[in-house]
Amino acid sequence: MVSYAIECHNLGPGNQHGKPPLSDDALLSSANFTLSLLPARLAHRIQRLRNLPFIVVANPHINKIYNNYLHSLSILEPFYQKRISTMEEEEKFTEVMADLVQTHTNTIPTLAQGFLECRKYIDATEITNFLDQHLRARIGTRLIAEQHLALHMASTADARALDSDPYNIGVIDSSLQPARIIRSCEAFVGDICEFKYGVRPKIDMNGSIDATFAHVPVHLEYVLTELIKNAFRATVESGNESHPVEVTLAAAPDVPMSKLDALKQLALADETTLDFTKDGLAEYCTLSEGVHGPINSAPPTITIRIRDRGGGIPPDVLPNIWSYSFTTFNADEAAGTNSVNDGLNAITNGGNPSSIAGLGYGLPLGRAYAEYFGGSIAVQSMHGWGTDVYLSLQGIGKVV
Amino acid sequence: MSLHSGSRPFLPEFRHAAPTFQRALATSRQLQAPRWRPASALDQWVERPIRPMSLRQLFFFGRTLTEDRLISSANYVRNELPTRIAHRLRDMQKLPYAVVTNPHLSYVYELYYKAFESFRKLPNVKTLEDNDAMCKIISENLKEHLSVIPRMVTGVLECHNLMSADDMDAFVNRSLRARISRRVIAEQHLALTETYNSPGHSPHPSSEHDFVGEVLLRCNAQDIVRDCGQFAQRVCRDYVQGSKVPEINIRGHVTATFPYVLSHLEYTIGELLRNSIQAVMEHYKGWDQPPPIEVLICEAPSQVVIRISDQGGGIPRDILPYLWSFNKGPRSQERLASLGQVPALAATMQELKIPGGPDTPRGSSLNQLSFRDPKLRLGMGLPMSKIYAEYWAGGLELHSLEGYGVDAFLQISKLGNQNEQLTSRASIDAV
Repeated sequence: MVSYAIECHNLGPGNQHGKPPLSDDALLSSANFTLSLLPARLAHRIQRLRNLPFIVVANPHINKIYNNYLHSLSILEPFYQKRISTMEEEEKFTEVMADLVQTHTNTIPTLAQGFLECRKYIDATEITNFLDQHLRARIGTRLIAEQHLALHMASTADARALDSDPYNIGVIDSSLQPARIIRSCEAFVGDICEFKYGVRPKIDMNGSIDATFAHVPVHLEYVLTELIKNAFRATVESGNESHPVEVTLAAAPDVPMSKLDALKQLALADETTLDFTKDGLAEYCTLSEGVHGPINSAPPTITIRIRDRGGGIPPDVLPNIWSYSFTTFNADEAAGTNSVNDGLNAITNGGNPSSIAGLGYGLPLGRAYAEYFGGSIAVQSMHGWGTDVYLSLQGIGKVV
Repeated sequence: MSLHSGSRPFLPEFRHAAPTFQRALATSRQLQAPRWRPASALDQWVERPIRPMSLRQLFFFGRTLTEDRLISSANYVRNELPTRIAHRLRDMQKLPYAVVTNPHLSYVYELYYKAFESFRKLPNVKTLEDNDAMCKIISENLKEHLSVIPRMVTGVLECHNLMSADDMDAFVNRSLRARISRRVIAEQHLALTETYNSPGHSPHPSSEHDFVGEVLLRCNAQDIVRDCGQFAQRVCRDYVQGSKVPEINIRGHVTATFPYVLSHLEYTIGELLRNSIQAVMEHYKGWDQPPPIEVLICEAPSQVVIRISDQGGGIPRDILPYLWSFNKGPRSQERLASLGQVPALAATMQELKIPGGPDTPRGSSLNQLSFRDPKLRLGMGLPMSKIYAEYWAGGLELHSLEGYGVDAFLQISKLGNQNEQLTSRASIDAV
């Protein structure tokens, strides 16, 4: 299975799925496209896991994840025989996609717990290298699966009856306004702050507040939540909650400033080739290890600067901020099984309110999400004053 | 030289080779290979290790200046200068022949060799008279070498297709760092001599407001930013077309002080502020009150960080990846033309002094670059500033918000106990 090469350069013009609701043909095309990509990606993940030390993969948590991947590969097997050519087959395939997405939802906290328990047997650099690759690959795999799911949902009989949202194309919102997400993250993280610390820091926004672009909302929400969480926590713990966190939005001159502009840009192209999966796939076409940094080198279009007065990051901590499971949060609290799941579930699933500092995966994972579509995160700390974080993002699928 | 000069009967398949051929012919006519010299003298000096200095050593040494100390400093300089130049010469000698024979680079090479010859022949310094003689030679040498930077960068740009851009950048970086190092120890010694010889000098520890040679014991970040800012505002007001000059607001830990070589700091902060002011003025053409430049000074136990934030629209996409390079990027050939207009290449740069410039105690080689017309984009300010910043174990980082502005972070080590960051021939060879 692993010798099934990833033929990403030859994807060719057969990927114009267009905007939902899709015709039957287009939906089948999407299904087959998805089917062509997933097995190889899963196989590569399995191989990487197999290369980890025995004692690590024997850990029950890591082992569970390993078996999840094996399971997913096996349920896809019936579909390898031929193209998906009927709507019934497509329906079955979509169910398998849903199962896949569901099974792997808690991969990150589970892996985190496993690595925490195994920290005696594997060094931090190896963990970081493995996770950097694995989590980036995971982003792509889930995106491919979720995109097909979303397109399917938007194209089924019921969906066609409703008015379709002109801005959503599967998991992508083509006129996403970062300012809106920042405000909602401010409220969400503010709630947790109030619960834990009794104070609620504020955000002062300036710059191009109306800027919009095409991106995956859940990705942006995750990254911004993590960054705002860091800023709020530092602000409160240094006693500076009276100083608001300053968020500046910068938009390159070609970024649309309103939903209307965004829609106009979309309307100009009949066949919108939103083959965003190519961006992430390119990383895996070369089988080289440890790809870091922006995946394509096209320039970013929106930059968000988050400035806090939280005292900055101490110099001895600074080299570790991009490592997984490094956190200044109390290590004892993090070791307990329950709080591991609570912390992450609270933030990512909106579940039980719990500790604001998670497992130290926020920054490296946030960077993985930002870089997936060619963006980046840079952290500049001024010890004794505060920290400036620069999040640059690129709109997905430039309309040609 | 034209590709289509009718008199040459080139066959079609050779036509694409023709320009290279013609260029090679043309250049070989202009080639002025540097003179060959026996390598034994150089070999000897290249074998000696470089003894790097720290800021703290620089000023502690000169704080209580006795005759013995001055002589000791003279002999340190007498040994270090030829050693350091030897390493540079050997580095240059290993560049491709075609590169070193570029007229500008061969000019620099000759200059260095001449300096090497005169330094290595300096006799042991035993008396104050010996020291004065040596200082005279060193001082002349410093003046002669003022035009090295623009010359070197011009030569590098002209040779852009003869060597990989990365190797070129690395070479220029090494050379400039080494140049700073030689000038620091030379200028420091000259300054100490001058202090010692000045009427009324007695060997007591200098007060904190003094200079110890070139090192200002208490550089106050706020004062320097304010002075450099005013100077940059003046220059831009006279030369830049755009909005009114933006204000510069300074806040944060404004009382922070640290020991530093003042001219280095003034150059770096001056470049950053001038870039910011110019960007804002051009971005806000016609405005009466463009947004101010915000400077933040942050003091931590071991370092001071100066953050300069402007709203000048950010750095254009096409040059962003090449900010720190001397020779890469789409605008590198334009810089060649601008470099030709820097007066230091022509005659003396003493003539180019804008009245009321900052009062550095001794005219330094950096002034000539700071006083140029801001419309001349040399593309050197940032990489040079970075070299200066990193020279004393500090740093310079830039973050651009495209469409909005730029944040520059200048890190300065407060302790002064880190050694100069130098690269010796041995360490280059070891790689």
